[in-house]
This record gives sequence, structure tokens and C-alpha cells, in this order.
Amino acid sequence: MISPFPKSASAAGEGHIVVKLLPHDISALESITYQYPLKLISPTVKATQQSVVVFLLSYGGGLVGGDQVNLKIDIQPFARLSIVTQGHTKIFKPAIPGTITRQRLSVNIQDGAALCLLPDPVQPFEGSLYEQTQVFHLHGSASLCLLDWVTHGRAARGENWDLLKWTGRNEIWFKNQDTGLKDRLLVRDTVLLDGTSESAHPMPLRETMHGHAIFGTLILRGPLTQSLGEFFLGEFSALPRIGARDFRTAAEKEKGLEKSALESWRASRLQQEIRDGVLWSAANVRSCVVIKFGAATVEAGRDWIGSMLAQEASLQKNFGEDALLCVR
Amino acid sequence: MTSQNRDEGNGEDTAQLEAEIADLEARLKSAKERLSRSSPTPSASNNSDNILTRSPSPPTSSHHFLLLLSDSALPLGSFAFSSGLESYLAHQRSSARKAGHQPRPSFTADFLPLSLSSYASTTLPFVLAAHRDPTAVADLDDHLDAAVICTVGRRASIAQGRALLGIWERSFVPSSSASSAGAAAATGAAEEVLKPFSALLRSAGSTTSTAPSSAATSTPTDPQLPPPVSAHLGPLFGAVCALLGLTLPQTAYVFLLSHAKALVSAAVRASLFGPYQAQRVLASPETQALIAAFVAREWDTPPEDAGQSVPVMDLWIGRHEMLYSRIFNS
Repeated sequence: MISPFPKSASAAGEGHIVVKLLPHDISALESITYQYPLKLISPTVKATQQSVVVFLLSYGGGLVGGDQVNLKIDIQPFARLSIVTQGHTKIFKPAIPGTITRQRLSVNIQDGAALCLLPDPVQPFEGSLYEQTQVFHLHGSASLCLLDWVTHGRAARGENWDLLKWTGRNEIWFKNQDTGLKDRLLVRDTVLLDGTSESAHPMPLRETMHGHAIFGTLILRGPLTQSLGEFFLGEFSALPRIGARDFRTAAEKEKGLEKSALESWRASRLQQEIRDGVLWSAANVRSCVVIKFGAATVEAGRDWIGSMLAQEASLQKNFGEDALLCVR
Repeated sequence: MTSQNRDEGNGEDTAQLEAEIADLEARLKSAKERLSRSSPTPSASNNSDNILTRSPSPPTSSHHFLLLLSDSALPLGSFAFSSGLESYLAHQRSSARKAGHQPRPSFTADFLPLSLSSYASTTLPFVLAAHRDPTAVADLDDHLDAAVICTVGRRASIAQGRALLGIWERSFVPSSSASSAGAAAATGAAEEVLKPFSALLRSAGSTTSTAPSSAATSTPTDPQLPPPVSAHLGPLFGAVCALLGLTLPQTAYVFLLSHAKALVSAAVRASLFGPYQAQRVLASPETQALIAAFVAREWDTPPEDAGQSVPVMDLWIGRHEMLYSRIFNS
């Protein structure tokens, strides 16, 4: 009997996804393999879907000390892939002190192809040691939307940045078609959180986080994310100035009340940003748009990024509703 | 019973060690006495660390450049940047207003260590790598540019880096070759090291200004790709220090101390405290220990493993542009 599940790769934690383009612009899986503790699930292809959706899972919903996940993804020209997760990626404290849990993602996106990687945040528990490296090679006019976020741990158990070490590295490379030329590094975004004395900080890690329960980075590059990047840059420059005062009279404020849908959405979002302690910035870095954000609670961070992506709506259009499962 | 035995054993060990220490101290004392009798100039042996008393021989050229590079009058324009301090103060004020208490921004207990840590973790590995191999400065500069994910921070770093390159070309190269005629060959070589970098920088500048004409000529550059070099401060500082003969520990220490000095100077101008308090902060053992600890932390960090150790710093620096009124450029 033929197993309904994808066949397993040989080494523990290894996985490989290949996405190709079928006629009529339908993206489909060419192959998908994985090995414990990694688990990959893809719902059956629908003719209407904008991209292939793959769920990136781990047995038991988390990674224990020493787990090594090594996922390779190849996206062939003009194919589209969305990667989501089911709940926070929990990082447990290792049973043997000093054992590092690692996740490595290596992605090749060919010309015209696209990846939308919007997972749930990583949740490092007290005493956890974690290292995550995500390397993206973009060919020609490939597109990438990448969200990488980390929370302060299990708030219900009073954890607040009690991890030992957390390293998150994202590299975006531009692959030169011309073999004589070197590949160019476009963005290398690395966050190093260190709760041990090696940090040499005179205060504990949680104090260096200044009341933020979640930190995230969104990186955008390529034609399919261009309008989203412009939206973030536009909203960033439309933020009210810090320390500015409103000298208008009540009557003048009344008069300015007739607003467009975007303006009223923005006004309520700004109020929520203040209430939820959301701080964010956006910058155009070497033809990528990089958004950094932090929020006082995990849910506030998720609401904020979800609201921004839903308002602009190009990701739903280009990758399908399911691509945004983790930010709703 | 067993614990008693162990205690007795420890007692014997301590007595033995004390005897050994006493013996060694006596031998050290007698050796010192013999040395002072045989030494012709007593001042040299007593103050060997103090270069100023070692007259008549003048301080070496690298000491001279160490003092120049650590001078706050070095025209890098550092005074124009607060590295996020101004934004930090504004954010602390607005969050304090929301919480309904008086703002208590603490410079020495909070911002100074965070900023030093962040600067050390993001930039110091590039300074060290450029000092170890000044010819790699172009690649280091390109990779640092990819890691500075913030418009305001990039502007500050590039402005100071270009200023340093200008000082090197216009001021240091002519005078260093004139002063040490004996080592003319060595300085000539040093002068050459940064030439390809300057040429790359100029070509990058010209392609952006005259894009249509250069597109037709030799190298097809993708408009989507960044220029080959940007001239960030970190790698150039490391390379210039190496070429002027500063040691690696000196370079790392001066780099972080200059950052601390710029922050403290910005704090004075932001009316956080006065000039005496400023010097007290800089002179404090805490600040010295912080710089030494961060240099030690990054000593073996390869530049590809550099990263942000204080994520909130990126938010403060990135949001500097949103301040209603500003006295600094970063």
C-alpha cells in the first residue's frame, strides 16, 4: 500500500521542499521530504490557490535541547511558496547543559519565483539555548517576504526573557547569473540575545529589552512585495512627530474629522500603537525594505503586524489567505 | 570522619603553600635589589610604563597617532550624532507621561552601557578584522553596510567614515611619510593600501550621479544592487589605525572610548548633566570596565557573526527621524 504521507529524508531533522510551476500558473510541490523532529504538511493543491502552502511543524509542538532542524527549499522560476506554522515554536531548556538547539533554513528562489514566510513567533523558554540561521539566495527578480520574531517566553509562568542565549540570523543574497561575478550580500540581520554573564551587560537581559515582550523583523524584497514595502515606508513617514503639540482649536479639529477609510484606519491604529506600547521603524536597505517592531505584549505585536499586512492586502492577493494564518 | 581527614589535608596544603610564597617573595625581593644596583638609570626601571618620563628619546610615531585619533577635535563630525540618545530621551519622556510618573532617564545606568554594548556587538568585529587585514577593507565595508539596517545609523556611520578617509588622504599620508623618512618604503606601502578603496568609492559616486552615460560603458551594474563600497567608519578606522602603527588592543579601546566620549558629549548638550559630571562618567572605573569587557567579548567574533545585542537600540535610532525637534543628526 502506498503511504499517504510524504516519504522521509535520511538524516534526522533534514527536510527538502521543491516547488515548481504547473501550466495555468499553478504552483505545485515537485517533492517534499522530511525526517523527525521536523514535520512538513501540505494541503492538497486547489486550482484557485495563489501559492503552495506548507506547514512547518515539529513533533510535540516544540524543539528540545540538541534538536537540529535543517530545511532546504528550492523554488523554481515563477513558482510561489508560503510557509506557515501551527502555534509558537517552543524552545525547551536542554536536558544536558550547553546543548544548543539549531534550526537552519536554506532557500533558493529562482527568477520570478516568490516565498512568503510568515511563521508564528519563536518562544524561547527559561534556560534555552537556540540558534537560527536563515539564508535566502534570490535570483533575478525573485521576491521574498520574511517575518522573524521572538517572544519573552512563557508569560503564564512568569518568564520574561529568561532564556540563556538566542541567536537569529537572516541573510539575503543576490545570486549573480553571471558566473564570473560574486554573489552580493544584500542584508544580514542578526539579533544576539544573551542572558548569561558573557553578555557583559551590567543589567539582566530583561532590562535591556525595555518592557517589550516581543521583537520582530520583517524583510521584503522583489516585485511581489514592492507595494507592501512602499506601504510600510509611507506609514512610517506618516507617523506623528514625537514631542509635537496640537495647537488646533476644538472647532478646527472637528473640521478635520472627515477622513478617508485609510486615514480613519490609521488614526485607530495609532491609538492602539500607543496603548499597546508598539514601537516600529522601517528603512530601505540596499533594495530591501526592513521593518523592525517591538510591543509590550505578544498579542499586541501579532495584532499590529496582522493589521498592517491585512490593510495593505497585497500578500493575500499574491499568496492567498492561508499565507497569513499566523498573523491573524 | 572523612571530612575531618580532608580538612587536615587542606591544612597541610595551606601551610606548604604559605612557605612556598614566603620563599618566592624573598627571592623576588633579592632579585629586585640586585637589579636596582646594577641598573644605570633608576628612573627607567621605576617608570618604564610612562612614556613622558622616558626623555630624551621622543615618543614613537604610533603614540603620536594614538593621541591624534583619540582626540575629540579629530574632524569626523562626531559632535553631530547622538547615536540614538536624543530619540531615547524622547521615548522615555513619552512613555513616562503615559504611565503618569516623572521621566527618569538614566544615562549612566541604562543608555551608556546599552549603546556601548550595541556598538561593540555590531561594529567592533569589523574594526578588528580591518586592523588584522587592512586590504580587506572594501569587503568588510560592503558587509557592514548590509548589516546596518537603519537609515539614520547608516547616515551617521558613512558621514564619519568618509571624513576619516579624507583625513587619512589629505593629512595623515603626507605627514606620516615626511616625518619618518627612514621608513619611507613602509609608509609608501601603507599609502597604497586604501587607494583601491578610494577609487571604488569615487566610481560608485560617479555612477549614481551620471547613471545613463556610465550604463553604456564597461561594467553593467544592476540598478537594484547597492554600490560596491559606502565608507563606513568601523572598517576604515581599523585599517587606518593599523596603517599608522596602533596595536589591535589600542585600536579597539580607542574606538569604543571615542563612542563613549561622543555619547557623553551629546548628553551634556542635551542638558542631562554638566561638564564635571561628564568627565566623572568618562573617568569612572565602571566605564573603563565596560569598555574592556566589551572589547574582550568581541575579540574573537568574526565579522559575519556580528549582530545587534540590544534590539531596542535599532528602534530608538530608527525612530530618531520622527522627533518633532532635533539637535542631532542621529
